[in-house]
Amino acid sequence: MKKRILAMLLAVGMILGLAACSNGTQGSGNTPAGNSGTPAPTGNQSGEVTEITLWTYPIGNWGKEAEVNKLTEAFKAETGISVKVEYLAYADGDDKVNSAITAKGAPDLIMEGPERLVANWGANGYMVDLSDMLDDTDKAEINAVNPGTLAACTTADGKVYEYPLVMTAHCMAINLDAFKEAGADQYLDLENHTWTTENFIKAVEALYAHYGETVGAVYCAGQGGDQGTRALVNNLYGGTFTDAGHTTYTWDDPKNIQALELLKGMDGIDFDASLQGGDEIKLFYQGILKMAFCWNIAQQLDPNAAGTGSGKTINGEEIVFMSFPSETGESALQGGIWGFGVFDNGDPAKIEAAKKFIKYMADSEHAVDAVKTANYFPVRSAAEGTDLSTIWADNEIMDQYQVLMPYLGDYYQVTTGWAGARTEWWNMLQEVGRGDDIATAVANHAAAANEAAANASAG
Amino acid sequence: MARQSQPAMSRALQRRENVSGYLFMLPSLIFFAGFVIIPMFICIFLSLTDANMHGSSMFGNFIGFANFVKLFSDKTFLRALWNTFLIVVVSVPTVCIFSLWVSSAIYKMHGAARSFFRIVFYLPVVTGSVAVTVVWKWMYDNYTGIFNYVLKGVGLIDKNINWLGDERFALWCIILILFTTSVGQPIVLYVSALGNVDQSLVEAAQVDGANNFQVFWKIKWPQIMPTTLYILVITTINSFQCFALIQLLTSGGSGTNTVMYYIYFTAFKLTEQAGHFGYANAMGVILALAIAALSALQFRLAKEK
Amino acid sequence: MKSGVERVSAYKVISIIVLIVLAVLFLFPLYWIVTGALKTSADILAPRPVWFPTEWTLDNFTRLFDRRSATLFDLYIPFSSLFSSNGEPILLLSGPVVPAAFRWLLNTVFMAVVAMLLTCITAAMAGYALAKKRFRGRAIVFGLIVCAMALPKQVILIPLLKEMALLNLYDKIWAVIFPTVGWPFGVFLMKQFSESIPSEILEAARIDGASEFKTFTTVVLPIIKPGIGALAIFTFINSWNDYFMQLVMLSSNSNYTISLGIATLQAETSIDMGILMAGAALAAAPIIIVFLIFQKYFTQGITMGAVKG
Repeated sequence: MKKRILAMLLAVGMILGLAACSNGTQGSGNTPAGNSGTPAPTGNQSGEVTEITLWTYPIGNWGKEAEVNKLTEAFKAETGISVKVEYLAYADGDDKVNSAITAKGAPDLIMEGPERLVANWGANGYMVDLSDMLDDTDKAEINAVNPGTLAACTTADGKVYEYPLVMTAHCMAINLDAFKEAGADQYLDLENHTWTTENFIKAVEALYAHYGETVGAVYCAGQGGDQGTRALVNNLYGGTFTDAGHTTYTWDDPKNIQALELLKGMDGIDFDASLQGGDEIKLFYQGILKMAFCWNIAQQLDPNAAGTGSGKTINGEEIVFMSFPSETGESALQGGIWGFGVFDNGDPAKIEAAKKFIKYMADSEHAVDAVKTANYFPVRSAAEGTDLSTIWADNEIMDQYQVLMPYLGDYYQVTTGWAGARTEWWNMLQEVGRGDDIATAVANHAAAANEAAANASAG
Repeated sequence: MARQSQPAMSRALQRRENVSGYLFMLPSLIFFAGFVIIPMFICIFLSLTDANMHGSSMFGNFIGFANFVKLFSDKTFLRALWNTFLIVVVSVPTVCIFSLWVSSAIYKMHGAARSFFRIVFYLPVVTGSVAVTVVWKWMYDNYTGIFNYVLKGVGLIDKNINWLGDERFALWCIILILFTTSVGQPIVLYVSALGNVDQSLVEAAQVDGANNFQVFWKIKWPQIMPTTLYILVITTINSFQCFALIQLLTSGGSGTNTVMYYIYFTAFKLTEQAGHFGYANAMGVILALAIAALSALQFRLAKEK
Repeated sequence: MKSGVERVSAYKVISIIVLIVLAVLFLFPLYWIVTGALKTSADILAPRPVWFPTEWTLDNFTRLFDRRSATLFDLYIPFSSLFSSNGEPILLLSGPVVPAAFRWLLNTVFMAVVAMLLTCITAAMAGYALAKKRFRGRAIVFGLIVCAMALPKQVILIPLLKEMALLNLYDKIWAVIFPTVGWPFGVFLMKQFSESIPSEILEAARIDGASEFKTFTTVVLPIIKPGIGALAIFTFINSWNDYFMQLVMLSSNSNYTISLGIATLQAETSIDMGILMAGAALAAAPIIIVFLIFQKYFTQGITMGAVKG
């Protein structure tokens, strides 16, 4: 009995041994298109590429295999290039890319935002300059939507390391039914989706008086979703996170300290070091938290696995997206720009193929599908004659969301030392949460972020 | 262990011993040297440099002991070092004492009952660290976890405790999970060790009027000593393997950072920090030194017994 | 005397009660995984814990399986990348496209079994040599082994990653297997075990003219067999549970192990507890079943390992 099982295990082992033994650098050729059994045709001595790899962060449905497969299959049908996709998570995606770079196993293509593609991997020389892909028409089309986009995708010396595809403004969300029940809905401007700091305070007071529990969480278990906590703190009294030139971190601004002191002192707002952005959203869906700071349109459209439909919690309560509260109600929202970057792995043929992919997804009539898959707004008005400005016209939620886009603030995530600064930020929030002196904690961590940034640019 | 007193072997015999000894060692040494010793030497070397992932050369510039000097003023590192120490110092004795107690309570039981308990305590070991972590995270949840629900239900607490988000609890919560995944093997070992204790000695002692405690301390304890030492070794090893718990539960926040996690974090998260590879390796060297000292201490103890 | 008996039995009763409570606590996480995997989303997301599923469903598994796909296996011609026209290995045969979780399980089994076999073979030989051969440098080797035994892999993380890249093993399961085999605990264990081999037998075999290798296979192996069993179990479980090396060394979905797959799932979706529990159940089930079936061998094997601790 024992022997037979051992023999069986051995046999399985041997078979797999063969399998694992001689994979290429990028592992087994598992194209989701199925039919990966066809070996590479031999007639491609000209160095024609038949497969490229794409690593993507979960940007809307670009994190869903079934959706992405549709796009890559269409791409393969037209170009003959199959795309092997790996899906990264925000929690450990950076670590994975960094260890892959260290091990010389970086993918051909990557999909994310400028803070990683431009300010980090691009600035450190791992990416291919894509400026030759942007002619004047392209630039005009992109600038027509938001002039800040191209600047964010370009380094100081004019290199373009991200070819932008979609953008959005990060916002927050409230549970409207809960607000109504607590009589807090009077503090919301539901038409413009904005509110003032004063009304925010009143609303939380009303909610806490009604529920007697935490209604909003300043989550700080890690960097996940920290755009929400940053935007919240910055907007309450108009503080800034970095200077306008994106060289130093300025979050030790007294206005931010004032905001943190306010939040810390509010009943119903809890600094929670056991939650990251994703956990907060879960609690919001469950109806436990009455507001979520980690929100954007993709969540509003496609909420969760519970199948509640757009804009509803699992109890069927209505979710309304809101701008972050500020003194005037006109906040500076944190933007998100996502697009493609190409890693320079020393193979010009692969780089060409990767560029072909970008052109196909971001600047052709297929951009409509690529953008819609992301559940965000296109960064450009048109792509090779296809009008992109109206692709969401049939979607009421997307249409409404347009009211927030004018509040899009400075894209400061490209400041040097960004990864380190994010770490300092959530560590600082944890310290504030546990009751340390707020001014000291803020000063220490902002200084540490600046020191790290200075070292990074020096080295 | 030392058998230097043997008569000197003839040179031919010595050569024969050498050759066959090396040949038998060879397969193991290839792996040991290739994937432990050589990396360890590279690690020591890198710890003296400002190497980082961006440099074109694998080794940065030689900077002497600067990394070590910096480490001992790095509060995060010192905290991590302390936490690592705490985890080992708390979990090793508690695991030993607890498993000894469970074993002595169950080893005389009827076969089926004994197997039952043995299986139950061993199950968390085979469940797998990631699966265990994922479910405990849910159980510890501040808002929807069952711990808060039950404790509130029976009136022990009146406000939710943020288990993994509160510095007062987080590290202990992690130690508890580590504990449940560590006691399985020691219990199995102790049950059989206690079963193998020479009964005639126990009976003789009882006839002489020794009480239970005396019987245990004077008769059983010495006989299970080798097992205890073995358990000390494997539990120590186990306690240093708590990476998954930290990474998946707290990302090193809430005062739960350990050196093991901080090395990973510095290596692959803080990639913009200048010389981060050298810095991470310096941490590795310190950890390795501490562990080598601990191992040596354990073996000194083992030899004396 | 009588009161002593009573005290003992009172102690016994209390200890049994405590044991039962502990057993429940130890079983609970597993119960929570299994029921969580079979609960509906409504039950899972309910603000209060639902102790027992109001409705059983396989939904979570369906979602888990639909999420990622991979071929069940890929057979390549060994070392074909050395002579293929484009430097990529030549694919011989691919399995059907299945939910990636199955591929992860298969990868994990492969990894654990190969690591176990390699460790047992190399450690048995080395342990015997360390215990019975008086070769030069033996003390140094043994000292190194003792010092390196408790060394966490994080210490050598960066050099190891670079080394794997150099050996072209990054993102291959071998990058996880080799360091496991190199871990010297097995050698230590087998050395302790081999100490008990009577030198007279070895001497007798030598006088009979048996070769070194024959002595090892016919005389030594049968004696240390129980120790090898213990080591096999220990290595298998350890490499099944290991997660760190996989996290650093593997980057493609089709090369993931089940632990890594589940951890990635947790990183991707903290909202969907059901899918996480389904994944955890899938990761835990095979090894628990194996453990329950071979429970006797497990406990025997583990115990044997400590006889000469």
